[in-house]
Amino acid sequence: MTDLTPTLHTRGQLAAMAGLRCRLFFNSLRTRRGKMELVSRIIVSLAFTVAGLGGAVGMGLGAWYFVSESKPEYLALLLWPVFLFWQVFPVMATAFTNNPDSSDLLRFPLSYRSYFLVRVVYGAFDPATALGSLWLTAILLGITVARPALFFWAALILITFAAFNIFLLQMVFAWVERWLAQRRTREVMGVLFIMLMLSFQLIGPAIEHFGGRSKPQVQRWIEIVKPVQQVLPPGLAADAIAQVSHSEFMTGWSSFVLLTVLAMAMASLLHLRLRAQYRGENLSEVRASGKKDKIQGLRMGWSLPGLPTVISAVLEKEVRYLARSGPMLLTLIMPIFVLVVFRLGGASATRHSSFLMRAPDMAFPVAAGYTLLLLTNLVYNNFGGDAGGIQFFYAAPVSFRQIVLAKNLTHTAILVCDIAIAWLAVIFLYGPPRLDVALASLTGVLFAAPLNLTLGNLLSLYSPKKIDYSAFGRQRASQTTVLASLGVQIVLMGFGIGIFVLARILGNYWIAVLIFLCLAAISISIYALTLRHMDRIAVERREALVAELCRA
Amino acid sequence: MEAAPTISTQGLTRRFGELLAVDNVNLNVSPGQFFGFLGPNGAGKSTTIKMLTGLLAPSSGRIEILGLDLEKNPVDVKRQIGVVPEGMALFGRLTGSEFLNFAGRMYGLDRETAAKRSAELLDFMQLADQPKKLVTDYSHGMQKKLAMAAAVIHGPKVLFLDEPFEGVDAIAAGTLKSMLQGMIARGATIFLTSHVLEIVERLCSHVAIIQKGKLVAQGSLEELRAGVEAQTPVAGDDAMPGEKLTLEQIFLRTVGGTRKTEQELSWLG
Repeated sequence: MTDLTPTLHTRGQLAAMAGLRCRLFFNSLRTRRGKMELVSRIIVSLAFTVAGLGGAVGMGLGAWYFVSESKPEYLALLLWPVFLFWQVFPVMATAFTNNPDSSDLLRFPLSYRSYFLVRVVYGAFDPATALGSLWLTAILLGITVARPALFFWAALILITFAAFNIFLLQMVFAWVERWLAQRRTREVMGVLFIMLMLSFQLIGPAIEHFGGRSKPQVQRWIEIVKPVQQVLPPGLAADAIAQVSHSEFMTGWSSFVLLTVLAMAMASLLHLRLRAQYRGENLSEVRASGKKDKIQGLRMGWSLPGLPTVISAVLEKEVRYLARSGPMLLTLIMPIFVLVVFRLGGASATRHSSFLMRAPDMAFPVAAGYTLLLLTNLVYNNFGGDAGGIQFFYAAPVSFRQIVLAKNLTHTAILVCDIAIAWLAVIFLYGPPRLDVALASLTGVLFAAPLNLTLGNLLSLYSPKKIDYSAFGRQRASQTTVLASLGVQIVLMGFGIGIFVLARILGNYWIAVLIFLCLAAISISIYALTLRHMDRIAVERREALVAELCRA
Repeated sequence: MEAAPTISTQGLTRRFGELLAVDNVNLNVSPGQFFGFLGPNGAGKSTTIKMLTGLLAPSSGRIEILGLDLEKNPVDVKRQIGVVPEGMALFGRLTGSEFLNFAGRMYGLDRETAAKRSAELLDFMQLADQPKKLVTDYSHGMQKKLAMAAAVIHGPKVLFLDEPFEGVDAIAAGTLKSMLQGMIARGATIFLTSHVLEIVERLCSHVAIIQKGKLVAQGSLEELRAGVEAQTPVAGDDAMPGEKLTLEQIFLRTVGGTRKTEQELSWLG
C-alpha cells in the first residue's frame, strides 16, 4: 500500500479542503434555513453528548474495576459493545451519518494518498466515530487510574482498535455502495442480506438452548466462545492489554500484531475500492462497450384506475426511482427484518418475561407502530431525490397538490404492504390478532400516517435536502427535518401507547378503536387542509427548493 | 394591424437582496419570431428566462404570455409553453423513454400519444440506441437533447431555451437547429439565450440585449445594426468601414465590452 505520510503538498490540499468545509459551513449560516440547521445540529449533538458521556462514565468505571480487580481480560465485555455500536449504528441510523462523497475532488490534481486520507479523515466525522472514540478514551482513563503503568501500552492498543473500526466502517460503506450500484451485484447483496437477517433468527433459539442450562454448562459454553472472540478485534485488544498487565509480554505483543494486521487488512480492502474510484471507474448500469440494446417497441406509461394521468405518471416515476435505489430499498425492508429479528429473539430468549409473550395481543399494535417508522425515510424529504427534476415540476402545467398527493400515495402503498407483511409475521409468531386489537392498531395507523404525511410534506418544502438515491450511508434529510420527525414520532407513539394502555386497563379495545377513529378524522382533515395549500407553499418556497435541489 | 405579442413584459424587475438583477425590463416578442436574448455573463438573462417560465417570481412587473397573465394563469400558460432551463430539469434515474413518457403525460397527453411521441423524439434525437440507459448516465449533449425533446413533446406554441447549444456537438446542434426552424415555420415562437453569437445570428430574426439587468437594445438584427453603426468602434471591434456588422460587433458596441488581449496572465503558457 502507498505511504500515507502526508507531504507538504498533501497537507496543503487537506488544509484547503478543511478550509472549504469551514467556509461552506459559515456561508450556510447566511440563510435562515442554515441557521435552523445549526440549531438542530446543536440539539442533536447535545443529545449524543449526554448519551455519550453517560456511556463514557460506565465504560471508564468498568475498565477501572476490571483492571483494579486483576481481571483485565474482561475488558472485552466493554470493547465488544463499542465495536458493535461503531459498526451497526451508522447503518441503522443513516439520518445521522455523514459519509462524504469525495468523488468530486478527483477533478483536482489530488494524489491518491490525499484522496485516501480525505476519505478516511472526513468520513470519521460522524456520531458513531465520535462516541466510539469517547468511550475508548474513557476506557483508557479507567485503565490508567487503576494501573498507571499500562497507559502507553493501552493507548497504543486502543488507538489501533479505533483505526480498525474507522477503516472497517469506511470499507463497508465503500463496498456496499459499490455492490448496490449495479443490478446484478445488488441482487447478490439482497440475497446475502436476507440470509444474514434470517441467520439472526438462530440467536434466539441458541440463547434459549444455552440459557436453560446449568451454570457449569453455561461456563463450558463460555469457554467455547472465549477463544473465538479472542481472535476478533475487540477480544484481541482486550487480550493485548490483559497479557501485558499479567507480564505476558510476548503474548500481548502477538495479540497487538494480529490486531494491527486486521486493521491493515481493512485499510487494504478500503484501498482497493478507493483506488478504483480514483482511477475513474464507471458504475453505471450501462455496458461500457458500444453494444446497442435491442430497440424496444412502444412502451406506454402506467394507467392506474381511478387516478388522473398526472398522479399516475408521478406515482410511476416514484416507484421506478425506488426500485432503482438499492440503499433506499434496503432502508425500507430494514424495519421489517429488525421487527422479525427482535420478535424471534424475544420469543425464544425470554419466554417467561418478554412483554409480548405475556401480552401477545399487543404484538400487532407493536408491529404496526414500528412499521410506521419507515415512513420517515421517505416522507420527510419528498423532493430530495428529484434533484434538478424539481424545475420540471415547476415548469409543467400541474399543481403541486397533485404531485405531492401522488408521492403520498406511493408512500401509503408501501406502508400498506409493510403492514400486511407485519400482519403475516404476527400470525406466524403469535397467532392471529384479535379483531378489536387489530382494528385498534389499523385505526391508530390511520390516525398517525396522515399526520406524518402532513408534516413530511411541509418539511419537504421548507427544509429540503438534495439526496442521491444510489449513495449509501449519507444523510437523507436535513438536521432540522431529522429532529422534527423524531419529535413527531415520539409524540405520536406516546399518544398511541397511552390510548392502548387506557383501553387495556378498561379491558375494552373498542374504546381505542373509537378514540383512534375520532383522531383519524381530525388528522385526515389536517392532511387535506394542508394538501390544499401545497400549491401556494410550493410557489413561496420555489427559489429555496430550486436552489437546494439543483445545486451541483 | 400588428398582432398582439406572444411574450410581453412590463417593468419586469427582480432583486436579490441589494442586487438588482433585472431592472424594469419591457420585452415584446411577436408571434412566430425566433428571438435571441443576449447579454454578458451575469447580465440577467437566466433570471429573466426563469421569470418568464414561472421558475422565479419577479419582484415587480408583469408578464404576459400568449395574452395570459403568468401570475394569474400559471397553469394555462405552462400548458402552452416548453422550457429547457439552465439545469435542464431532468429526472436522472429514469430512462430517456420513461422520462419523455412522463413529461408527455405531465403536459396532458394521453398515454398512447405520449408513448408515440416519445419514441419519435428519441429516434429524431438519436437517443433510441440504448433504451435501458438511465438519464444520469447520458453525456451532457445527450441530456441537452433529451431536455429539448421533453420541452417540445406537447407541441408548445412558445419555446424558452436557456443556452440550448451549450455542450452539444456539431451534428446534434444541426439536428436541434433544423427542429427549431421547423417549429418556427409552423408558427411557433422561440425565445433563446445563448453565448454563441454565430448561432443566434444564423437562427434569430430578432434580438434583445441585456446588460447589468437593463434592456439596452431590442429589435430585428437590421434595426440593431442601424442603431449601432453610428457608434464609435470599441477595442477588439475589427469591423471594416462600410462592411456589414456581425452580431458580435453589434453586441460589443452595444454593451461597450472590450477584449483583454495583452498584459494580463503573462505566466500562462
